[in-house]
Amino acid sequence: MATLKIKNLHVEVEGKEILKGVNVSISEGETVALLGPNGHGKSTLLNAIMGHPRYKITQGSIYLDDIDITNLTPDERARAGLFLALQNPAEVPGVINSDFLRAAVNATREEKVSTYKFYKMLDSAVKEVKMPFDLATRSLNEGFSGGEKKRNEILQMLLLEPKIAMLDEIDSGLDVDAIQIVADVIKQEKEKGRGFLVISHYARLFDLIQPTRAIVMINGKIVLDGGVDLIKRIDQTGYEFIKTELGISIEKESSNMNEVSIGSCAVKDAIK
Amino acid sequence: MNKVEIRESKYIDCSLLDNESEFLVLAKEPIKLTLLNLKEECKLHFDVIDNVFLQLSIFSNNQIKSLKITANIGENAKILTYFADFSKEQCKIDAEINLNKEQATCEWHLASLTSGLDNKQIAVSIYHNSPLTFGKIDNYGVCKDNSRLLFSGTSHIIKGSHKSTSHQNAKIMVFDQGAIGSAKPILKIDENDIEASHAAVVGKISDEHLFYLTSRGLSMDEAKSLITLGYLKPILVGFDEDIQKQIDAIIEENK
Repeated sequence: MATLKIKNLHVEVEGKEILKGVNVSISEGETVALLGPNGHGKSTLLNAIMGHPRYKITQGSIYLDDIDITNLTPDERARAGLFLALQNPAEVPGVINSDFLRAAVNATREEKVSTYKFYKMLDSAVKEVKMPFDLATRSLNEGFSGGEKKRNEILQMLLLEPKIAMLDEIDSGLDVDAIQIVADVIKQEKEKGRGFLVISHYARLFDLIQPTRAIVMINGKIVLDGGVDLIKRIDQTGYEFIKTELGISIEKESSNMNEVSIGSCAVKDAIK
Repeated sequence: MNKVEIRESKYIDCSLLDNESEFLVLAKEPIKLTLLNLKEECKLHFDVIDNVFLQLSIFSNNQIKSLKITANIGENAKILTYFADFSKEQCKIDAEINLNKEQATCEWHLASLTSGLDNKQIAVSIYHNSPLTFGKIDNYGVCKDNSRLLFSGTSHIIKGSHKSTSHQNAKIMVFDQGAIGSAKPILKIDENDIEASHAAVVGKISDEHLFYLTSRGLSMDEAKSLITLGYLKPILVGFDEDIQKQIDAIIEENK
């Protein structure tokens, strides 16, 4: 069984330390909810795990299956079995979605799939996320609606079959029906034994996918790691109890954070 | 000097032509001329007479030092050009399209790749000499290693050419620190009642795009090649399968 282990991870973005010693581990078969106020490093953790070059690891290490992946490139991490569904997937003009998907599928498998087999896989994955097939033949994410982009991320996850999938606000920009579709796919993949690390600000998604564990990130550290009752508590009362019960004061978002809105990455905006 | 009458679609092997050639395009049906094996130095002139629709597809993969293309477009006639430029080293390409009569149209699409120490200057100009003429220029470039690529050209709408439309669009993706890309789309307009625009973008390949593609398992080289192909791809529609494969292969070599 694959386990992702993060040990004392420190991460800087453009000279500013965002993660200040994160320790956590996630195993295949687990679905972990990652909670925390805006601007405290949730997206940074996911990007650093996937190897985004902007997120510099200054200390600590990341292991997958007891293999040190701290210094691997993003493509090597993907081939090792990690997947990150981005909060704001890029639009890449001229790159045809299905060409990209096929290149990705072939890159992450030992054996290349035939054209016929690939289209069978694509056809069934497209049906599962209830995406119109023509989106697969258009430029990657170009002109896609917010919801279509998010479904395209889930489609990629289905085709790539990672061991651990990280989902960064997969529910933002989705309407009620689309949230249900995405949640159904996650539940079904969960049963197959895939591991999930999920960021969301809405308890609704967690109600649907039923995580097995919840962790809370404050000030660039994981301060709570426990049962799913945390989700309900935070949804109802906010993060105040962390201050009163754990004695951790929550760092205020700095003054230039007021541009942050739903659908943007708080850390990216903060370091602008 | 060659003088050739064109009445049907055909491939022209330019290495068999004189250094200067004139083509008189007379076809009644829309036709497609595909030019291959351009000479190191050549001048090509096209007379597209009234009501003719000419698609001119040019593929260059050898060394061309100097190429000059001129065209006169007649009433209600159209020239649609696809130019896939993969020539090497020093190269100067000048194109001058004259929209001489009403409703004359020119659509120009060019994709150019420079690498190594290539130095290319590509100038495309359209002269709107009559009312109701339409011109559109799209130049796309990928600039690598220590190469230089310059797109220039003028859309000139002369006085009296009212209700004419002219658009220019130049985009260069710069891959490496030593590469220099430059785009100068110029509009010269002497008439009020017209529609015109020009745009230029020169920049490097987006880090976010590269991360996105590599995070799905594609190597850095594969990601770059896919993005490059995507950038130059719009030109492929102008060519048949055989040449499309050659273009794909060149991009593959250059990734």
